[in-house]
Amino acid sequence: MSDILAAILIALADDELIIGHRHSEWTGFAPHMEEDVAFSSIAQDEIGHASAYYSLASTMVGQTPDQLAFGREPGEYHNAVLCERPNGDWAYTLARHWLYDNADALRLEALERSSRPELALLAAKIRREERWHSLHAELWVKRVAEGSVEGRGKLLHALAEAFAEVRGLFEPFDNEERAIAQGWLTVPSPVLGARFVETTTAALDDLGLPVEIEPGAITTELIASSSGDLIATDEDSASITPAGGGLGGRYGRHSDDFKALWAAMTATYKIEPEATW
Amino acid sequence: MRRSTIRPRRRPESLVEIYEVFRRSGHKQPFEHCGSVTAPDVGMATVMAKECFTRRGEGRHLWVIRRADIHTWSDDSLPDPAADKSYRFAHAYRDVVKKRALARSRAQADAR
Repeated sequence: MSDILAAILIALADDELIIGHRHSEWTGFAPHMEEDVAFSSIAQDEIGHASAYYSLASTMVGQTPDQLAFGREPGEYHNAVLCERPNGDWAYTLARHWLYDNADALRLEALERSSRPELALLAAKIRREERWHSLHAELWVKRVAEGSVEGRGKLLHALAEAFAEVRGLFEPFDNEERAIAQGWLTVPSPVLGARFVETTTAALDDLGLPVEIEPGAITTELIASSSGDLIATDEDSASITPAGGGLGGRYGRHSDDFKALWAAMTATYKIEPEATW
Repeated sequence: MRRSTIRPRRRPESLVEIYEVFRRSGHKQPFEHCGSVTAPDVGMATVMAKECFTRRGEGRHLWVIRRADIHTWSDDSLPDPAADKSYRFAHAYRDVVKKRALARSRAQADAR
């Protein structure tokens, strides 16, 4: 049973690690000096959260957090496809940051009520830090939304692009129903997804950003996805691609973007896996 | 999409202002200047300050103040004062206890 929980913790960690890695790619390139430091700090926070989830899982699976973070094959990572997409421009980075942290806030709120005290405590701790990430994203999105037509147009385009894959964050975990039955998870992912659509569309309305979302897109398609047709059957990892709509990540199906990220992220670890830093 | 003529284009440098950041390391510590950030408004300045100046756990309390709102005072001629002011330091009164005891004993002697 504990391997079911470990797999969920690892998937949560993978989301944080991969988005943290993408955020960190802005170090030295962010729009201004303060943002460079701020966004790098947020990236470090996300990777720190990943490390905390991996640490919880590590005792259950008998692997170190480093082995979990860097010692797996691409198909063994269960992050949502949205997290692995390249940063593109600042607008896309911002749109994804805003969507991801809104989604993470809902997820953490549910995890805080987990029947596993160590997970509930960790979620509460992470949530205190995530509040600041959400505020950072919100202030930026609001400012760009109310700013020049050019910036607003870029943001709208980026939000639509990121939103098209956001459902991957609410794709059910492996054996999710058993984790729910145990009270380890308190809200099914598709229910969280529906809540997310509700709060996010309301927030976008408030910002005057008309991002079109197909009604029921997240909930209905997610339920369909758990039927198994998205589970990778092809053993050749090179031909495994995401299922579209940002789905597939929770089953180890990633885009080519992920393979490039994975190669860069694990390069140092592979040279000397036993090295300590 | 709305037409771009509604909002006049502003020069980029006018979009941000400088905010001075003060930080304390604990409840009993004084707030001390730790740096400055440029930001378009006080909300953004506060978030930037939080990420830039507390990211290593240096403190949990910040003051963020628009530089334009700070009243300053300075006078570069001060190193050359009109009179000796050293007596204004406490150390100038180091032997005052001794002097007072001496004066008291003299006064008692005179009274006798």
